[in-house]
Amino acid sequence: MQYVLEMTGIDKSFSGVKVLDQVDLRVKPGEVHALMGENGAGKSTLMKILMGIYKADAGHIVLNGHETHISGPRDAIAQKISMIHQELNPVLDMEVSENIFIGREIRKKGLGKVGLVDRAAMRAETASLFDAMGIDIKPEEIVRRLSVAQIQLVEIVKAISLSAGIIIMDEPTSAITDREVEVLFRQIRQLKEQGVAIIYISHKIDEIFQIADSITVLRDGRLVGTDERRNFDRNRLITMMVGREISEVYPKGEATIGEPIMEVRNMNRGRRVRDVSFILREGEVLGIAGLVGAGRSELMESIFGMAPGSRGEVAVKGRNIRIRHPKDAIRTKIAMITEDRKRTGLNLKASVEHNITIVSIDKLAKFGFIDQSREGKVSEDYIGRLGIRTNSRKTMVQTLSGGNQQKVVLAKWLLTEPDIIIFDEPTRGIDVGAKRDIYLLIGELARQGKGIIVISSEMPEVMGISDRILVMCEGRITGELMRSEFTQEAIMGFASAMGGAGA
Amino acid sequence: MKGESGIKKGKLGENIRELGILIAFIVIIAFLMALSPDAFARPSNLINIVKQASINGILACGMMLVIISGGIDLSVGSTAALAGVMAAHFSHPGEYPLFVPIVIALIIGAAVGVVNGIGVAYGEIPPFIITLGTMTAVRGVSLIASGGAPVFNVSKPFEYVASGFLFGIPLLAVYFLIIVLISAFILTRTVFGRRVYTIGGNETAAKVSGINVRKMKIMVYTYAGMLAGFAGMLLASRTVSGSPTAGSGYELDAIAAVIIGGISMAGGAGKWYGTVIGALMIAVIGNGLDILGVSSHYQLIIKGAIIVFAVLIDIKSKSRNV
Amino acid sequence: MKTRKVLSIVLVLLMMTAILAACGGGAKEEPAAQEPKEFAFFISHMTNAFTIELSDAVKAKAAELGVNVTVNDGGKDAAKQISQIETTVNQGIDGIIIEPVSVDAIIPAVKAATEAGIPVVIVNQQISDPSAASAYVGVANKDGGALEMTKAVEDLGGKGNVAILLGPMGSDAQIGRSEGYKAVIDANPGVTVVFESTANWTTDEALKLVENWLQSGKEINAIVAQNDGMALGALKAVEDAKLQDKIKVYGLDATPDALAAVKEGRLAATVSQSTTTQGLEAMNTVYKLAMGETVEPELLVDFTLITSENVDEFL
Repeated sequence: MQYVLEMTGIDKSFSGVKVLDQVDLRVKPGEVHALMGENGAGKSTLMKILMGIYKADAGHIVLNGHETHISGPRDAIAQKISMIHQELNPVLDMEVSENIFIGREIRKKGLGKVGLVDRAAMRAETASLFDAMGIDIKPEEIVRRLSVAQIQLVEIVKAISLSAGIIIMDEPTSAITDREVEVLFRQIRQLKEQGVAIIYISHKIDEIFQIADSITVLRDGRLVGTDERRNFDRNRLITMMVGREISEVYPKGEATIGEPIMEVRNMNRGRRVRDVSFILREGEVLGIAGLVGAGRSELMESIFGMAPGSRGEVAVKGRNIRIRHPKDAIRTKIAMITEDRKRTGLNLKASVEHNITIVSIDKLAKFGFIDQSREGKVSEDYIGRLGIRTNSRKTMVQTLSGGNQQKVVLAKWLLTEPDIIIFDEPTRGIDVGAKRDIYLLIGELARQGKGIIVISSEMPEVMGISDRILVMCEGRITGELMRSEFTQEAIMGFASAMGGAGA
Repeated sequence: MKGESGIKKGKLGENIRELGILIAFIVIIAFLMALSPDAFARPSNLINIVKQASINGILACGMMLVIISGGIDLSVGSTAALAGVMAAHFSHPGEYPLFVPIVIALIIGAAVGVVNGIGVAYGEIPPFIITLGTMTAVRGVSLIASGGAPVFNVSKPFEYVASGFLFGIPLLAVYFLIIVLISAFILTRTVFGRRVYTIGGNETAAKVSGINVRKMKIMVYTYAGMLAGFAGMLLASRTVSGSPTAGSGYELDAIAAVIIGGISMAGGAGKWYGTVIGALMIAVIGNGLDILGVSSHYQLIIKGAIIVFAVLIDIKSKSRNV
Repeated sequence: MKTRKVLSIVLVLLMMTAILAACGGGAKEEPAAQEPKEFAFFISHMTNAFTIELSDAVKAKAAELGVNVTVNDGGKDAAKQISQIETTVNQGIDGIIIEPVSVDAIIPAVKAATEAGIPVVIVNQQISDPSAASAYVGVANKDGGALEMTKAVEDLGGKGNVAILLGPMGSDAQIGRSEGYKAVIDANPGVTVVFESTANWTTDEALKLVENWLQSGKEINAIVAQNDGMALGALKAVEDAKLQDKIKVYGLDATPDALAAVKEGRLAATVSQSTTTQGLEAMNTVYKLAMGETVEPELLVDFTLITSENVDEFL
């Protein structure tokens, strides 16, 4: 029994898109095994399969030498696998001890299965767990009152207390401070001595090098390689995570960059956007890189008038603008292609034509009456220009493929003839062919003298198409790189600059 | 769904729904004609049906816009009652010129609509709740305004507003027709209407596209309110009395007309002519069953069954598209 | 946390004490050695001329007698009326008058009141167990219905088709008046009922119903409605169809607008149930009971037929 867990040949597809392709993962008992990869590499999906939340399309899972099927989260826990999720989901209105023992409440003796909950016993148990770990939280505290960091600690304790054989930790330190990270690592070392295996997912390379024994790297749903930590250095790790030849995938021509077209000063929104200032120039493609949750989309939403609590100044072509609602931004010739086209970019109950014309509809109308033949001409025009594959302009946009839907969103905004275009993850969920079309389009728009901002979590993409990159971390801009300075390490470095230091 | 077959399925699904309602309508008419061959199809009876469909139809036009925008308005029956009471107050013989009660009814309707709109748009109160509140409160106001009993003694000109004819066509039908045309025009040809569909289709995307969702919602509810005021005035004219208890349950008939007509309760979709068919269908069924002497209690059961059936068709045709 | 818990328990205890005190305290009034002063009137609804007239009459008599009467509107809801009665009985009162929403449902509440020593007078619609209450002042709806239908049949010369508009099915007035109608119709074989349906006391329902009946092709010679609200709706439909010379319309209640219509010769007749007299007598009777006097268990007020001949007396 060399391995406590062997996942071999795992395949998984969603709606025809393959997210895991023949992935192997082997974990020894008592080791900390890091699972690394970019956003979208497949790490979370693989773990969800292990937890029984998804079912693999192909492949085997072998636990302690026996092949098993995991039918669901309860079954996973029964088979001694527990997980600390990236998105924390405690029951807010219950107390800490109840959350820790959720689903396995301690009952008062003598009344069997129907019995009453023994709150005192749960609290005592919780208290001793916390004491052992040096955590200072009251077991009877209501979870809603806790800070995010405290909630994360509770989740950690919960997973540990499930006396598992394997604990999956997905970004367990995203919210906690260095001191608490130390507490966690102490616990992890204790668990290792007890023979517990830990699968550790994190973007924080420093932490990985501190705590991991082995590292497995995924990229684009495939296994790149597995090795012991001592055989890795930062460069090798990053190269394996990211390493693609950039030049052929990202057509980029010469850029003529002119005067500043937009200037943002001291943009603030609570904790998500912290004192951000930057300049965008004519003809420039400005990439915004960073980890999920760094505040990039939030920054753009604030600029575009989608977020009421924002404070800060925006100047377009030298003039200060008050943007309090998207229509203000639109009037200033700013366009925003949002991150989630289905949720915020398209009206799925309407046709391709209606979606293309909705922002500019008043320009296609006289005295409020829509000129339907003009509308038809304009939408046909853009369908052709962007190569949108659809039966007709009257087709319901819901029936189009992801790539074509994204093109409809683009058409909608291009129709407004903007000077500044913000793209938030423009190629998410899109196949390679359509991606290339969009890159070409971005390049073309930049050549026309527009200012382009591209938020992207795909490093090769953001490095491939940008003239300049700003990197964000925890709401701030932590780095700026000119095209000649683009390296994966530099970007990742800036993106994880605040590894561990929370509040 | 991409590809040829996917598109075909989508089109068929949509057409089935619209076609289905029309077919059901024709079947019902044929059925009733067979049961009462002499009475039902007579021109005078058909005129009757259109008259009886008009007030509900006018309410349904306002309701249609509200539902397409993603909301609902339960207060239209009460608003109609209040408008009717106040119109009757101002239409005693020889007191005020005819336009006074009409304008007052419209203003009252608009006022209630504005309250609803502000509650939904700024208060972010779910439409069901705020209009339930106005429905109750406005009913109370009508009872107070009328002193508890119907306000009688309206002038002949006022009575004529709903009871008169234009070249042999009942005026009620004329009003219904005009309001249908206006509502249809708004929905299909204007920027305003396009934005109403968008808000109902995806409110967040609408906002991102620059639509002032709050202002639009207030306008939609105000439109429904004004039509309710107008309908209330017509009801008072038709029954020559402004009754504080009039119109109770009218909001349900209006909603029924809209649903039967194929407008999706989730918002963002539906054709105006569906609502017209829905309103006519309700009137046809009521008329046909009255002629046959079927008690009003059975009529309620039948109406309920048709509504459920219509919603089932709506759900089925939606699930085929996804 | 702990303080909150303690506070909530204290609050609950306080509330419970208050409720118990109210319950307990109310029933223990000193036996009435004093002058009766406080009365309550429970009316089924306040949304038409009839109920308003009734309520006004009760209040007028109370003022005359120098006592207070509180009017409680049951909103056509039996459960609501029952709670209103129970609450009042608990708080103590010298006497109550009830115009019932439902002739069956309120009987337990009535019994509870009489058992607590409170005299109960039922007005206008008799409850299904008359012995539960102290007295009844009202009309026999059967007589009113008979009076109305007799006039209609007379005008028809004993032969013809009649359409009937009923009140809400199951209400005392509907049942009683229908009984009266039936008796007259059975006695006149030349008269046929061609339509009979409820329009729930409302004008607009009656209007739509009669509009549709007129389209049916069946000949109608008279329309008899169980109240004036429906009669006026029927009248409008008849006049719109220009059939007012062929069809006579009859109502019941003698509301001001119906009287006006009779005077104008448009409504053939209406029937007064002497609403005011009922109200006055009900108040009078409950006062007497509260003073310890004995009364007749049933005091019936007459119906009066009103036609163009005698309408002026009532205007």
